[in-house]
Amino acid sequence: SVQAHKEEDNPQTTMEVNGLTPVPDSYDYDLIVIGGGSGGLAAAKEAAKYEKKVMVLDFVTPTPQGSSWGLGGTCVNVGCIPKKLMHQAALLGQALQDSRKFGWQFTEEVKHNWMTMTESVQNYIGSLNWGYRVALRDKKVTYENAYGEFVGPHTIKATNKKGVEKLYTAERFIIATGERPRYLGIPGDKEYCISSDDLFSLPYCPGKTLVVGASYVALECAGFLAGLGLDVTVMVRSILLRGFDQDMANRIGEYMKEHGVNFIREFVPVKVEQVEEGTPGKLKVTAKSTTGDQIIEGEYNTVLLAIGRDPCTRKIGLDKVGVNINERTGKIPVNDEEQTNVPYIYAIGDILQGKLELTPVAIQAGRLLVQRLYAGATAKCDYVNVPTTVFTPLEYGACGYSEETAVEKFGEENIEVYHSHFWPLEWAVPSRDNNKCYAKIICNIQDNERVIGFHVLGPNAGEVTQGFAAAIKCGLTKEQLDSTVGIHPVCAEV
Amino acid sequence: MGCEEVQVRGYPEFVRTAQSYHGRPIFALFCGDKDAEGRSWCPDCVSAEPVVRKELHNLPDDSVFIYCLVGDRAYWKDPNNEFRRNLKLTGVPTLLKYGTPQKLVEEECVKAELVHMLFTED
Repeated sequence: SVQAHKEEDNPQTTMEVNGLTPVPDSYDYDLIVIGGGSGGLAAAKEAAKYEKKVMVLDFVTPTPQGSSWGLGGTCVNVGCIPKKLMHQAALLGQALQDSRKFGWQFTEEVKHNWMTMTESVQNYIGSLNWGYRVALRDKKVTYENAYGEFVGPHTIKATNKKGVEKLYTAERFIIATGERPRYLGIPGDKEYCISSDDLFSLPYCPGKTLVVGASYVALECAGFLAGLGLDVTVMVRSILLRGFDQDMANRIGEYMKEHGVNFIREFVPVKVEQVEEGTPGKLKVTAKSTTGDQIIEGEYNTVLLAIGRDPCTRKIGLDKVGVNINERTGKIPVNDEEQTNVPYIYAIGDILQGKLELTPVAIQAGRLLVQRLYAGATAKCDYVNVPTTVFTPLEYGACGYSEETAVEKFGEENIEVYHSHFWPLEWAVPSRDNNKCYAKIICNIQDNERVIGFHVLGPNAGEVTQGFAAAIKCGLTKEQLDSTVGIHPVCAEV
Repeated sequence: MGCEEVQVRGYPEFVRTAQSYHGRPIFALFCGDKDAEGRSWCPDCVSAEPVVRKELHNLPDDSVFIYCLVGDRAYWKDPNNEFRRNLKLTGVPTLLKYGTPQKLVEEECVKAELVHMLFTED
């Protein structure tokens, strides 16, 4: 009934006509969260615990290819979850090969069915979407599948997919709109290329694929596509995994190259044309060298762009409420309490300037923010020593400084790097590579040889890294590490 | 509103019935068997049934509502019974939209708000 009242008054007309922006003196909601992803949902559910009146707005603008998805954000729908499941599908393919050496006998050739895998993955995602809706409804959080944008102080306009607009006001807002894949801006990119937003629900096997980019998204996707038996090429403009420890990045690249992924280095696509229609069709990609005038051409069934992600902050009316954004990147600067320059507007997740783009970080930031707002808590989100894992065919787990950053910050003479190759026992029988798995720790000599960087390249890297992240948070030193007895036989004992 | 209700008992009858209505939205409520006095051995089912019935009028027009008795308590407790194995049911009562991942399990079925959401939203 409060909403109906507002619609009748039509405050929006008043605002636009006089240029004056009246501030409502009582609000529809205590908190409106724009974006129903990892950060947004965590914040909304937390706020509901404190009996606050909360609304979540979530809307997915379809991709140029028409893909869309349900509540839950990138991680659940087109990120971490389907990625890890498809990575697992590829690992299982490898395991099937290894299994013969362990005595399993099967005469049939093992083939992979893309549709079977995709259907299972999408089904699981569907149950997660539903689960979130049940959770929100159960906790009395209002959820609207509508595009939210600011129209004035404390006021947001929500437009659903039928174009129906509603206005809502709230005392506070949390922007958690996340990011979407970037396109190249070359002829044919939006018409013919796909992105990670399309890949995990692709209704046909991608076939021979060109992955453009060298981000973890590019390498993880290239990795599992190759693992499923597809012909994969990665086109890299300059370096692999910018921002990650480059020694580790190069080892990952080498491993992928030795295991069937083709790399085209120092080239960028300039044109994508369709040779044949179909599902998949045939595309011709023309690329130019970054170091000279050389032009090359190649034909692929699918071109997957993974060159970066841009924050969804340009079209949500931030200018109407005066929220500053970094004009070049679109990211929102916040203080250490996730507050923007407008005191009642907060931001969390991938859109933040200078913060890690990870689901657990967004969740943690969202929960702690809400606890500070409504439960009198003071704890701030700790962005230091956040562990992460890249699920390339040879997995890479890391926590803390890369070697380059450690050298830059502390000086080469003040750090000590301990490293070792290791050979997983499970790889010995099927004779898999014995010199690829690798671990290193970076220690600060001036601080009791405190471990400031942890890097491991090998199976189950994520599982291995998690515990060490906790140890690093507790101030793990080399001596303590040495005095910890290993578990045998596991990779982590190295 | 006009939704058709069918009552079935046991897995084979459920599957036959669901297949016969292929093409129409199918909603199903799975409950434990009822005794001679009409009371189920499953207390949550006893609570949920009236809540679900009250929301039935909100079902889309050409829907089918299948009320399915799964069997006695012993049958249900068997971890290999067909409902668990094939339909992936984990508890009774379960209220689901057939062919989708959308379902409500046990205490969720007693909450009118959630039943309403399952019946009316996509």
